[in-house]
Amino acid sequence: MIHRESVAARLALHPELATAALQDFIRDAVETVGARGVVVGLSGGVDSALAAALAARALGPERVHAFFLPFRETDPRSRQDARAVAAAFGLALAEIDITAQIDAYFERVEPAADATRRGNKMARERMSILFDQSKKLGCLVLGTSNKTEILLGYSTLFGDNASSLNPLGDLYKQQVWGLARHLGVPEAVVTKAASADLFPGQTDEADLGVDYPTADEVLFLLFDQGLLPDEVVARGYAAEVVDRIVHLEKTNRFKRRMMLIARLSGSAVNLDREIPRD
Amino acid sequence: MNDRRSRLRVGLAQIDARLGDVDANLDKHLAWIERARAERVDLLLFPELSLTGYRLLHLTSRVALRPAESPVVARLAAAAPELAVVVGLVEEDERGFLFNTALLLHGGRIEHVHRKLYLPTYGIFQEGRFFGEGKRLELCRLFGNPFGILVCEDFWHSDPAEKLVRAGAKLLAVVSAAPGRIGAAPMPVSQEAWESLTRASALLNTCWVLYCGRVGWEEGTFYTGGSHVVRPGGELLARAAYLEEELLVAEIDLREVDRLRWRLPILDAERTDIEGPS
Repeated sequence: MIHRESVAARLALHPELATAALQDFIRDAVETVGARGVVVGLSGGVDSALAAALAARALGPERVHAFFLPFRETDPRSRQDARAVAAAFGLALAEIDITAQIDAYFERVEPAADATRRGNKMARERMSILFDQSKKLGCLVLGTSNKTEILLGYSTLFGDNASSLNPLGDLYKQQVWGLARHLGVPEAVVTKAASADLFPGQTDEADLGVDYPTADEVLFLLFDQGLLPDEVVARGYAAEVVDRIVHLEKTNRFKRRMMLIARLSGSAVNLDREIPRD
Repeated sequence: MNDRRSRLRVGLAQIDARLGDVDANLDKHLAWIERARAERVDLLLFPELSLTGYRLLHLTSRVALRPAESPVVARLAAAAPELAVVVGLVEEDERGFLFNTALLLHGGRIEHVHRKLYLPTYGIFQEGRFFGEGKRLELCRLFGNPFGILVCEDFWHSDPAEKLVRAGAKLLAVVSAAPGRIGAAPMPVSQEAWESLTRASALLNTCWVLYCGRVGWEEGTFYTGGSHVVRPGGELLARAAYLEEELLVAEIDLREVDRLRWRLPILDAERTDIEGPS
């Protein structure tokens, strides 16, 4: 039986081996389609910092185009941190403010929209800009969603969870922290409270109602090891936390199975015809 | 070719294959055969499905070859007739059925055809949907020495290796395209499993074991490399790098098998008459 004390140890990754594999992944994905490089949105957080660091090592910094895409209310510290990350890995950082287009929609059309809707719109606006820039630059859009976020659905559909390739999608948050430290992401970026920065004072852990190390461990037991919820509780995790994670995982599955196609023909895209994209 | 030679130079061609691109893969095979010839290799192994790539899904039938009629196979066989070469391909039989096959080419012709016996169809594996199961296991010969060829999952069942050894094989050549997994150790988790199997088999079957894996990414999965040679008794003789293409060459002496079997005659003592449990 896996006890709670040993779960975190089982999430340990060999940093050199993991980064070497992920760099190969990025290089292979870019070269297979003949792209010039990648574009990546730097939020000032650790996930985008790690994705950018891996891409810089895989492709060389001159093939990684970083963008900081603030809104009027974006925490000024996010800009500092994005700049520190770009400097740490030798990346040119362009800034495009999204305030005008966000205001144009909400002020004119939807003044009553709540913070979640506004935040989702901003996430999609940012991804929309990254895809436009990727077309302009002949690049792929580098994803930055980690496994914890993906499983909990803590992302905006077709916003931050949209990308051409995602090197972080099989890394739990604490694995992201570990690799980010290994690659020299500034410590202030690794240790600050994770935030979607969609409204002032927001933090992931407050939104989710659980701290990341606990969420990672519970998800590892449920998803990777296939334990039942009561078996996880029996290993020392609070029942309400486990229930919440089970609920989030289940109700957000739609976000990770893109393109729900109604199959009529017997030869439906993806369902009947699984053609590899390589 | 019936003069029995006990000392052999074996080469493990740990390559990356381009998915679905037989022409590109053929060029790489020809180049690596030339390299192996320059290194005076007698027996050269390429990984499972080396001519086509592994994760073909619905492309499987598009890249299938009929070995006896295939110009691709003819070019490989003619490239270095003095060299025995094992290549992996999608084989189509006269009925149009498909097999995950390893061919042994030697003396300018097809010396042996091994159709993969066990087709993994669980987790990320879907071989049972696209391939037919091989039904036969036969020994092949190289300079008069009997040996066996197995493809990946064939080796995760003890019976095929045991059958080959009981029939006289002194060497098992295992070709693979096993998806990699990484954990905390410097050796990939998936390779820890493989080396446990190859070393245990070399001990229990008192024979040489060659394991030829591949590298590279196909969509979201990667192959670790770490191809290796295990002496009779289980000691690791040589291992290729992880994540990088490499031609691993090792000199082996099949008389080591006879010496070990004299000291450790467990194969002679094998009993097939034990009854129960009921």
